[in-house]
Amino acid sequence: MLDRLGSMLEGVGAEFADIRYEIKRETLIGFTGRELRTIGTNTTDGYVVRVLKNGGFASATVTREEDVPRAIQLALEAAETITATGGKQTLLEDTPVITDTVVPYLDGDPASIPIEEKLRLTAHYNGLLLDQPEIETTNLSYREIGRQKSYVNTEGTAVSEEVVTTNIMGEVIARRGDLIQNIRIAIGGADGFNRLLDRDSEFIERGRLAGRLLDAEPVKGGSYDVVLSPMLAGVFTHEAFGHFSEADIIEDNPSLREKMALGSRLGSDVITIVADSTIPRQIGFYKYDDEGVEVKPVTLMDKGVLTGRLHSRRTAKAFGEAVTGHAVAEDMRYEPIIRMGTIYVEPSEKSFEQLLEELGDGLYLVDGKGGQTAGENFTFGAQYGFIVKKGKLGPMIRDINIMGNLFSTLSSIEAVGNDMELSERGGCGKGQLNIKSALGGPHVLVRDMVVGGV
Amino acid sequence: MKKLLEKAAKVADQAEVYSVRQDSGSIEMRNGIPTDISASIQSGYALRILKNGMIGTAYTKNLLDRDQLVSNAMDSLKGEVEAGFSFPGAADLPDSAGADPGVEKMGFRELHTYADGVLEQLRGKVEGQIDVYAGRGVEEVSVVNTTGLDVCTRSSDMYLYASLLFPNTEASVHRLHIDRKAGAFPEGKLDDLIALYKSGLPEVEVDSGRMKVMFMPDTLYTLLWRIGAATSGKSLYNRISPLQDKRGQRVLSEKFSYYGHANDPDNYEQRYFDDEGVPTRKHMVIDQGVFSGAILNLDYATKLGENPSGTGYRRDGEPVSALPSPYLAGGRIAPGKRSLAEMIREMDRGVIILGVLGAHSGNILNGDFSVGLNPGFYVENGEILGRVRDGMVAGNVYDVLQNVVAIENHLNTSLMGGKYPALLLDDVSVAAKK
Repeated sequence: MLDRLGSMLEGVGAEFADIRYEIKRETLIGFTGRELRTIGTNTTDGYVVRVLKNGGFASATVTREEDVPRAIQLALEAAETITATGGKQTLLEDTPVITDTVVPYLDGDPASIPIEEKLRLTAHYNGLLLDQPEIETTNLSYREIGRQKSYVNTEGTAVSEEVVTTNIMGEVIARRGDLIQNIRIAIGGADGFNRLLDRDSEFIERGRLAGRLLDAEPVKGGSYDVVLSPMLAGVFTHEAFGHFSEADIIEDNPSLREKMALGSRLGSDVITIVADSTIPRQIGFYKYDDEGVEVKPVTLMDKGVLTGRLHSRRTAKAFGEAVTGHAVAEDMRYEPIIRMGTIYVEPSEKSFEQLLEELGDGLYLVDGKGGQTAGENFTFGAQYGFIVKKGKLGPMIRDINIMGNLFSTLSSIEAVGNDMELSERGGCGKGQLNIKSALGGPHVLVRDMVVGGV
Repeated sequence: MKKLLEKAAKVADQAEVYSVRQDSGSIEMRNGIPTDISASIQSGYALRILKNGMIGTAYTKNLLDRDQLVSNAMDSLKGEVEAGFSFPGAADLPDSAGADPGVEKMGFRELHTYADGVLEQLRGKVEGQIDVYAGRGVEEVSVVNTTGLDVCTRSSDMYLYASLLFPNTEASVHRLHIDRKAGAFPEGKLDDLIALYKSGLPEVEVDSGRMKVMFMPDTLYTLLWRIGAATSGKSLYNRISPLQDKRGQRVLSEKFSYYGHANDPDNYEQRYFDDEGVPTRKHMVIDQGVFSGAILNLDYATKLGENPSGTGYRRDGEPVSALPSPYLAGGRIAPGKRSLAEMIREMDRGVIILGVLGAHSGNILNGDFSVGLNPGFYVENGEILGRVRDGMVAGNVYDVLQNVVAIENHLNTSLMGGKYPALLLDDVSVAAKK
């Protein structure tokens, strides 16, 4: 395949061109309550072409091989338009020419597991959720995605890498009269099917939690000091800071770029944040990004000071910083953009009990329910929480969303715990879905967060 | 498509092939210059087969091996997913307006000219950064089945989007123009945007409390998402809707009516059939506060013993890989009688929500929302004082939509699809940092 892709770029008439071909194999088994809603395995494929001509850099995506010449023509026209209209001039950072084929480490290759076995396991976990008190229904899916990616550029790089993710995830829904509450659950990773086995206790616990939420009180809106659980600290890090470390978010906003200069102090001196997609067995793991660059660990913030940024070849050159291998696409329908992969807060010294004691009065918030970033503002939701009085956990609360501003919130982080957890699912939606956006960290104490209650 | 359908018909009681082809291009102009241009030509095919009351599904993007696709659907059938419905028969539908030749043929230079025209109208009139985005697209959707249906629609759209960033921030106000045909921003719309921007320049701190809140059209999806979830056939069938057993009852303010109008000729994405080939029509969901109609696809219509409502769409992600599910295309809130200016004058103290963050994070099924203002403008005595610093608005749709003060007399095309008026509510919780 790599040779065939190389021949498609011959005589392309540009300083640089690359092409990526992907075959995406998806297995989906979906339950709503006890009803099996869907089951099957399907394959899709497609091409992404990018060209750099006279400083204009543009892309085109197509489904069919016979449309690849048209894609190249469109990308060339687009690049020429950028140049002719005084648009952004692009140079690419030099990177080593690589020839490699990467086969993923899999503890139980899901492709070799019969779909009947996947169905049996999903039905079993679904049954555990449904058997808990006051559970009305579930939405639970087994989702397996294998991406066989082949990448070639005109500099000679030719890389083939397969990434496989397997998850069982969804929500469990409890109901009492008109009150409906839900809790999310996700297990999985990028290291094979066997990770999904023997996880009964987690499903039982999540089912029970959904029922308990029926007795929780909605949080009252206002400003609170909070301790965030490891998963929620991960969501907070991803939304409150991570997106601003993606160079393509800030590159065309001069004022934001100035504020995000390396060496700037943005956080308190207790916080260190790392993006590391080389950690094996994690859902964020990969070796090469979607422009054939080997991914490297990056310390983004060291004791509150900005020390690194995530880059594509284009942005690395534009910023004069090191290329990091973070240009990643959802699949063959998209050109790569800069994505976080695995991002986490480094653990420190304090126990959870010490953090609660330091908190005094406030909220303990647990598990992420999605987040969003726009400009320097962000929000994220917690699945549930507890009121804390004098360092002791009190009644359970629900309906918790938090808002903050990048430039004021990170300096409000007062203490970091000594534990550590990484998520087993991704799902960041920055224009494209990234199912490999892992996140996590230890418990974290943050002062003065705005919580929107009902 | 026909060959695929013939192959599938040989192994099934009924078969359906859905196909989509999309051809699109876009340009981004950030801080005054073209920064990115991209193009995309995508296609795909989805097959559904019914046999002995069971359904099998399969899809691909590149139809190279029809036998394999049929084989995948047969394998899926072995899972024994029950399906009580049948595919719809032949339908005599009006011809759609088709794709606009101007949009169909539009190259990147012409698209740039339109985007640059927007930039020219805004340049020098605001202090902050100006970003302009433009795009064009043509889509063809077909559904054929073995019960005689053979329908196809071709549509086009061109959009222009202007965003004005407040100085030294990424917070912005924006305006969208989208139409089936190629064309410039309507006169006056950008002047309105500049005036809006200037009124939000000061940053103000606000005391937390309950006050009037106005949802602008681009933010109403916060509320409608929750109503859509509660009125979906899926939620009603699974008995997880707060509106369970409340059909025909008044559940919201009688000032509030919500419906879908996919076949509205005024709709740039006009559709005469949904993604299952069911004819579309004006479909009332909330009629003067009364829960009047559920949003149904074929499957849930059959399960609930109702007629299909022409609201089954492949919405979640790639169209061919997503199964049809209940979705209200061409969403509308019935307009009221007040102008936007009159509604602002009615606000003694309150917030105008121009953008939200986190609409997806709350307990959607229960109707709860808790969103960040991005931005929100603070109003006192009918006058905008500036944009709120770190503010959130929260509530439950079934509570806040009892307190409708006024609805704008004009429908605006929303960034999230559909056409909506601004909606002024009373007694909504606002939390802010002060």
